[in-house]
Amino acid sequence: MVLKIFFPQCCNRAESGLLVGRWISGHNSAVVLAVIHYPFIPGQVKQYLQQMRAQSRVELSVLGSWSLPKEGQEGMESFLRDLSTIFPQERWLQINREMGKTGFTCQVLSRDQNGRAAQQETKKKTEEGDGEAGGDEEEKVIFVHYEQRKVMLSQLHPIENGVPDPKTDPPSELRQMFQTVAHSQPLFFMDKYDDGPLKSTHWQSEGREASIVVELLKQASVPLCLLVSWLLSVWTWICNIRIFSLYPLRFLSSKLSTCDQLSYRTEQMRTLSSVKPAVGHTHFMRKANILVSFLVDVALGVLLMSWLYRDNHITMLANTLVPAADHVAKELDELLQWLMGAPAGLKMNRALDQVLGRFFLYHIHLWISYIHLMSPFIEGILWYGGLSACLGLTFALSLLSDMVALLTFHIYCFYVYGARLYCLKIYGLSSLWRLFRGKKWNVLRQRVDSCSYDLDQLFIGTLLFTVLLFLLPTTALYYLVFTLLRLVVVLFQGVLHLSVDFINSFPLFAMGLRLCRSYRLAEGVKFRVLCEEPGTALHLLMEINPLKCSTVVQTYRTPTYSCYPKDSWVALVKKLFVGELIYPWRHKTTKTD
Amino acid sequence: MGPDSAPGPAVPWRKVLWERQPFPDNYVDQRFLEELRRNEGIRQYRYWAVVKEAGFVGQQLSCVAIFITLWLYMEQGLLSPERLLWTSLACALLGYGLHQALTSQLESGCELRTRMADLQSATIFLSFTFGFSPVLKTLTESVSTDTVYAMSAMMMLAHLASFPYAHPSPPGSLSLNAALFASVCLASRLPGALHTFAMLSCALLVFALWPCLLQRLRESAPSQFTGLCVGVCIGGVGGLGSQWPGGAVLLALALGSVTLLCPLLLVRLQRHKDNIHGPWDEAEIHEDLSHFLH
Repeated sequence: MVLKIFFPQCCNRAESGLLVGRWISGHNSAVVLAVIHYPFIPGQVKQYLQQMRAQSRVELSVLGSWSLPKEGQEGMESFLRDLSTIFPQERWLQINREMGKTGFTCQVLSRDQNGRAAQQETKKKTEEGDGEAGGDEEEKVIFVHYEQRKVMLSQLHPIENGVPDPKTDPPSELRQMFQTVAHSQPLFFMDKYDDGPLKSTHWQSEGREASIVVELLKQASVPLCLLVSWLLSVWTWICNIRIFSLYPLRFLSSKLSTCDQLSYRTEQMRTLSSVKPAVGHTHFMRKANILVSFLVDVALGVLLMSWLYRDNHITMLANTLVPAADHVAKELDELLQWLMGAPAGLKMNRALDQVLGRFFLYHIHLWISYIHLMSPFIEGILWYGGLSACLGLTFALSLLSDMVALLTFHIYCFYVYGARLYCLKIYGLSSLWRLFRGKKWNVLRQRVDSCSYDLDQLFIGTLLFTVLLFLLPTTALYYLVFTLLRLVVVLFQGVLHLSVDFINSFPLFAMGLRLCRSYRLAEGVKFRVLCEEPGTALHLLMEINPLKCSTVVQTYRTPTYSCYPKDSWVALVKKLFVGELIYPWRHKTTKTD
Repeated sequence: MGPDSAPGPAVPWRKVLWERQPFPDNYVDQRFLEELRRNEGIRQYRYWAVVKEAGFVGQQLSCVAIFITLWLYMEQGLLSPERLLWTSLACALLGYGLHQALTSQLESGCELRTRMADLQSATIFLSFTFGFSPVLKTLTESVSTDTVYAMSAMMMLAHLASFPYAHPSPPGSLSLNAALFASVCLASRLPGALHTFAMLSCALLVFALWPCLLQRLRESAPSQFTGLCVGVCIGGVGGLGSQWPGGAVLLALALGSVTLLCPLLLVRLQRHKDNIHGPWDEAEIHEDLSHFLH
C-alpha cells in the first residue's frame, strides 16, 4: 500500500510542530494544510481545531508531527512520540527533515483495536534480507508537494455541481484534495501578526494582503446592485403595460432583433444585480463573464459613437443613403425590363411576362416614392438611432440589421409573391400530372392510387395541365431571380446576427483568466520528480495543468438566443425547389435553454 | 444393394424423395414426362374474325388522321372556324340522338335526368374552352414549330397505344389526356382564338364522344359497325390525301398492315406456338371452395 501525503511547499522550512490536515476518505492519502508550532497547549489546539471544523465544514484533524531540528534542538524524538498519545488518531505520521538534506523521512504509527501502538518500520531499504521479512508490511510513502495558494484558488474541471451521491460516484482523490484546500480558507486567516495563543505556518502566514480598491468596490457594489435592480423592475413594469401587449405591437416586437437583444440584456442585468453573492464556481464565472462582456460591449459602442458623431459622419451617411436606395431601385428596374424581354434566350410566355413585370415595376415605383417621402427624416432617425450604441455595440448591430430588413422589405414582398405563385404552380402541376396518368393521391394511405375520372374532370384537368406546363418557365425564372435577391439579404442579416451572437456569448472573463491566471481553471495535474534518493521517500511536485482554450470557450459560453441554421443544406435546397418560403435563421428563446 | 445400376424387377422405382432406393438419384423410368401437356388452352383464331377486330384499331388511326386533316385545312385558311363549329354542333346533336336511340333499345328510364346532366357537362366544356382559348392560343408562341410537331406526334402515338380498344366507353385517362394535350399543342398554332376554340371542340368530339357512340354501335349492330369502320378508314385516307398525298400513302400502308397483314401473321404463327404445362406450374384452384367455409 502506498501512502500519499500532500505537503504544501510553504511548510518545507517550517519550524517543528504539529501537522494539521485531513485524511482523504476512501483513498490512502492525507492532505497537510498547516503546521502549528511549539510551544502550544494541547487543549487550545483541540479547541481551535473544533472551531475551524465548524467554520469550514472540513474534517480537520491533527495528522502527526513535523520536526525540522535547528541547532541546539536535539532529543525531540521521544517527545514527538509521546505526542501521539495526547492526540489519539488511527494513524500518526512522524515526518522528519534535516537541514541541508532535501529528502524527508516518515514513520507511520498505527493504532490497532486494543489501543496499543504498534510501530511499523517505513524506512525505504535499498538491500533486502534484514531478517525482518514476514509479519511487517512495508508501506511506501510518497510526498506530493503542492503550491497551496494556487490549489486553493483553482477549480478542477469538469465541474461537479450539486452534491454528488457518495454511494454511486465517489469523488476522485484529486477532487477531494482540491476541495479540502479550497474549503479550508478559515484556517488560513491566522497570520503571524495575530496575538492568539497559537502560531501556525501556511501560505498566508506572512500576513494577509488586501487592496483598498477591491474593498471600496465591495462596499459600493451593494447599493449599486440595489439601484440597478430597482431600475430594472421599473423597466419591466413599463414593458408589461397592457397597451404594449396589443397584437400588432407584439407581433412587431417579436420580429425585430433589437427587442430580442433588449430583453436578453435585461435578463442578464437581472442576474448580475441580485444582491446575493454567487453560489458555486459556475455561477460566479457566469456573472463575471456577463459583466465583462457587457463592459466591453459598451466600450465598443461608445467608440462607435465617438466616430459617428464626429466630423458630420451622420450627415454624410444620410446623404448617401437615399441615392443608394435610388440606385438599387434603378438596378431592379433594369432587371425587370430584362426579364420582360427574352432573358438569356429563354422562352417566356409574353403575356404572363408582361403582367408579372408590370406588377413588380409598380411595386418598385411605390417604394421609391416612399423613400423620397422619408428622406427629410432620415438624418434625424440616424442621429437618434446612433444614440442606441451607448447601450452597446450589439444594439447598434441589431438596429442596423432591423433597418436593413425594413429597407429591403420590397425584396421580401417580391420573394413572397414569386414563391407563392411558384409553389401553387408546382402543386397544381404534380396533382394534374397524376390526373394525366389516371391516378390520384390517397390521403389516408399516403400513396398514389389509380382512379377512374369523369369525362369533364379529365377534360378540364388536361387543359389546366397544359396551361400550367407551358407557363412554368416564366414563373420559375421570376421565382429564381427574387429568391437569389432574398438570399443575399438573408446572408447579410445572418452575418450581423452571428457577430451579435458572438459578442453576446464569448466568455471574455474566462478567457482572460485562462491567459493570465491559468492555474485557476485546472483540467488536471502533472507530477514532476523532485527527489528520488535511495533511503528517503519519493518526492513529487504537483503542477496544475490548465484547461485548453477550446474547452474554456465550450464550458463557459454564455447561453444566448442564438440563431443557427434551421435546416441542413439538403433540406434547404429541397424547400427552394418546391417553392416553400424559407426562413433560414431560427431564434432560440432563452426560456427553452 | 450393390454398386450395380441395373434395377432388379423385384423393386419398382417409386417417385419419392424420403426413401432410400437402389437407384441413382437421377434415375427416371418410362413414365417420365407422361404428365406433360402441350399448348393447353390455345385459341384457334379465324382470319376474318381477327380482321374485323383489327378494323377497330385502323378506325382509330383514321380518326387521328381526320383530325389532323381538319387542322391542316384550318391552318391554311381553307376552312373557317364558324363553319367547323356549326358542323361539329350538328354532328354532335346527330350523334347524341343516335346514342339515345340505341340506349333506349337496351334499357329505359331516367331519361330526363341523364339529359340534364349531359347538358350541364356540355355547358361546362364549352364555357371553359371558350374562356381559356385566348390563353391557350399564346401557349406555344415561343416554342419552335419542330418541337410542337414532335410533341403532338408523340402524344398521338401514346393515345393510340393506350386506347382501351376492348371497351372504349369509359375513356382511358392516359389516352384521352394525351390526345387532348396534342390537340392543344396543335390548336395553339392557329391564327386566332376562335380557331383554337373550334379545334378544341372538334377534338373533344372526335376523341371523347365518338368512342362512346362506337361502343353502343358495336353492342347493338355489329354488322353496321364493321361497315362504319371501313367508311372511316376510307374517309381518313381520302381526307389526308387531299392535303398531303405522301401522308395518305403512309396511312394506307399502315392501315393495310394493321388490318390485313398483322392478323395473317397472328394466324400463321400460331402453329409455331409450343407451350408446355405440367405439374410444375403454379397451382390454380378450379374447384368451389365454399364447402370449406362452414
